[in-house]
Amino acid sequence: MKYKSIIYLLLCIALPLISFGQADVKALFAKGNQQYAKGQYKDALASYKQVLDAGYKSAPLYFNMGNAYYKTDEIPSAILYYEKARHLAPADEDINFNIRYTNLKTTDKIDEAPEFFLNKWWHAFILCCSLSALSTLSITLILLASLVLIGYLFTSSVVLKKASFFTSLILFFLGLTAIFMGNRQTAYFDSHKQAIIFSGSVTVKSTPAAAAKTLFLLHEGTKVDVLETNAGKIRIKLANGSEGWIGAGDVKEI
Amino acid sequence: MNRKIHILAVFIFWVSTVFAQSPAFTAAVSSTHVAVDEQFQVEFTVNANGDRFSPPNLTGFRALSGPNVSTSMTSINGSTSMTTSYSYILAAEKEGNFTIGPATIRVNGQTLITRPIQITVKGTARGQGYRGGGQQQQQQPAQDDTPEESSAELSKAVFIKAVVDKTHIYQGEQINVSYRIYTKIGILQSQLDKLPDLNGFWSQDVGDPRQAPQWHTEIVGGNRFQVAELKQTVLFPEHSGDLTIDPMGMTVVAREPAPARDVMEQFFGGSFKDIKVKLKSPAVVIHVKPLPEAGKPADFGGAVGAFSLEANVDKNALKANEALNLNVKITGAGNIKLIKNITPSFPPDFEKYDPKVTDTINKAAARIEGSRLYNYLLIPRHEGNYTIDPIKFTYFNPATQRYVTLSSKPFQIAVAKGDKQVNVSALSSADKQDMKILDKDIRYIKTSDTGLSQDGESFFGSALYYLLLLLGPLLFVVAYVYRKWYLKQNSDIVKVKSRKASKMAAKHLKNAKKLLSAKNSKGFHEVVFKGLYGYLGDKLNIPYANLDKDVISEALRNKSATENTITQLEDVLDLCDMARFAPVTGISEQEVYEKAKNVINDIEDEI
Repeated sequence: MKYKSIIYLLLCIALPLISFGQADVKALFAKGNQQYAKGQYKDALASYKQVLDAGYKSAPLYFNMGNAYYKTDEIPSAILYYEKARHLAPADEDINFNIRYTNLKTTDKIDEAPEFFLNKWWHAFILCCSLSALSTLSITLILLASLVLIGYLFTSSVVLKKASFFTSLILFFLGLTAIFMGNRQTAYFDSHKQAIIFSGSVTVKSTPAAAAKTLFLLHEGTKVDVLETNAGKIRIKLANGSEGWIGAGDVKEI
Repeated sequence: MNRKIHILAVFIFWVSTVFAQSPAFTAAVSSTHVAVDEQFQVEFTVNANGDRFSPPNLTGFRALSGPNVSTSMTSINGSTSMTTSYSYILAAEKEGNFTIGPATIRVNGQTLITRPIQITVKGTARGQGYRGGGQQQQQQPAQDDTPEESSAELSKAVFIKAVVDKTHIYQGEQINVSYRIYTKIGILQSQLDKLPDLNGFWSQDVGDPRQAPQWHTEIVGGNRFQVAELKQTVLFPEHSGDLTIDPMGMTVVAREPAPARDVMEQFFGGSFKDIKVKLKSPAVVIHVKPLPEAGKPADFGGAVGAFSLEANVDKNALKANEALNLNVKITGAGNIKLIKNITPSFPPDFEKYDPKVTDTINKAAARIEGSRLYNYLLIPRHEGNYTIDPIKFTYFNPATQRYVTLSSKPFQIAVAKGDKQVNVSALSSADKQDMKILDKDIRYIKTSDTGLSQDGESFFGSALYYLLLLLGPLLFVVAYVYRKWYLKQNSDIVKVKSRKASKMAAKHLKNAKKLLSAKNSKGFHEVVFKGLYGYLGDKLNIPYANLDKDVISEALRNKSATENTITQLEDVLDLCDMARFAPVTGISEQEVYEKAKNVINDIEDEI
């Protein structure tokens, strides 16, 4: 009797959190989509921004904003929002396609240093689902595993006992895997701080000092890894392994 | 044996007679005894069609002309002979014995060599001789009969001087050399023999060479001379040290009054003598100081003189991919043509082309003056605000003996976004152009609004997430504890029986009530009796076999039940026992039922 009331309590707390103000925001989002469909990309962008300003986010929202920016020929902003969408839905093929496609419009061609195949597989594995999907999945699996285990406690049939025990073991393992994946995914995005270059052309220096040697040039829309920040300057790393310092104002973090 | 050799010898001689006309390559000179500067001719003759003539070693001689090749062909009685000659006109440079080295030629695959010729050079020629003159003789037939003469008196009457404006200069500083002819006597002809080799200098002739020399009068050492400027050159020493400006050689034919041979001649104004004079200017040594190392700027490009710098851009605001012109003009007196190109630093994202360099030199003045114009074409490829650093130009000013760095002002260039995002052939994107994507676009927006969540901390890792995650295990723990408690409750059979006893009794009583309402008196009493017995057996843990009134009373006393309850129980039991066999009077069935119920309640309360 007790646990049922706990669930009700939790639902009472959680539901308002999730559903608060959703109706207005959804309407705005739908409005933005209609404007986009009519080709009014700037208006669509304004609608999406309102949703964003209301404190909401989602992969489709970021994705649509990226599209609208692309259509208004603001490539760096488009890439920034696509990347934000990718953080929320790393395995979404539409997002990844648009990122690849939009990157063709940027000036800098950077050959990615080849990744060790195990690393590649590992990243593909932990990025295969979105974080929210992983959260739901892990909770469901653990709950299911617990219920099956409770069934194991109360059944008297040996066959059922055996079956329920191993089923719950597998479910627990899967649930823990989902938690672990979510954890790794969060850690991956936390450690891979990335930024998009917004200045038309940026000279990358060898040290934070202004008088330092110019190592190479970057142009707007290029994605860089942010390694460290030092007095308004950031150390960046490119996909091909080149490193250098640029002004923090030249980029926007994803 | 001997005879064989003789026969062979005869054959060999025959052969040489037969081939008398075999190729011969000979050298001949017009004179083996010559004086210094005397001209003579050396001729190499081959009587066949030769090729690959390699000239002799002519050290010690100056080749004035040659090789002059002449070919002659003669046909006598059907046999044709051909002669080719290579001739040189040489002049000895100094006294001594010299050798004209062998010359070689190839005829029909054979290499022929001439014999070296010894030449003895002694004494100095007084003028130019034409003893062996070939071509030159024809060029200047008039001079042929002019006697050559040179005397101390004549050299005072006509001479050449090289005049420099200064002799102590810095490397790269310009000096002006003018060759002037001074003469007291009339000059009929003049011919430049030798232009000075200005080794170690970069030279630039100034003045108008087409202009005829202007004569003017000058008093030198009390004598009136006619002076003319022959040649004016500006020199820039290329390295430091003592540099010599070589003499300039000139041959003039001067007309000198000769003493009259007779009265008639005197009467008609006397006679003249035409004298050929060879003139030579004295060598001038210029002391060239190296440029001071102290305070030499790193970007010094070798400019020496006095300059000014001017730089401008044609526009300050433009769109990406449009052209921008930067003009840098260096004006002044000095070695403008020798200046190394300036290296302005442009924003690295500008596409830049090599500058167009235009030199404007004013040759008319005695000094080299002019300007150098650099025209840089720049194309900004991306929008932004850029600064072109100040253009710097460093030169050495020999007058103040200091390095001077000129600097223009920096240029601010505002570049707006270009018209179209075409893939211009900028360096990095050049390779991207080969990727042709036709009819391709980004994917369409997502219209589903799922997953719209509040910005902030993500659900994963939030307190709620962990709470929900713990829900399952918590449920399990609760279930586990419950099951444990349940098992424990059921593990003691006595307790379980005792706990179940009242339930059993209630069941029996309920049954009894049914029978009561059905007026089944016998059945009713039996059920009550059985119910009580069953209840007490379970409650007191007494096997049914041993169950009787005394045992029950004993057990109840042991469990410290009150005497009143025990008495009542005994009453009810007796009553029911009797009622099973005979009808009971004086007490209704309803009362029996109530009694039994009360007893059970009492026992439940007390035990």
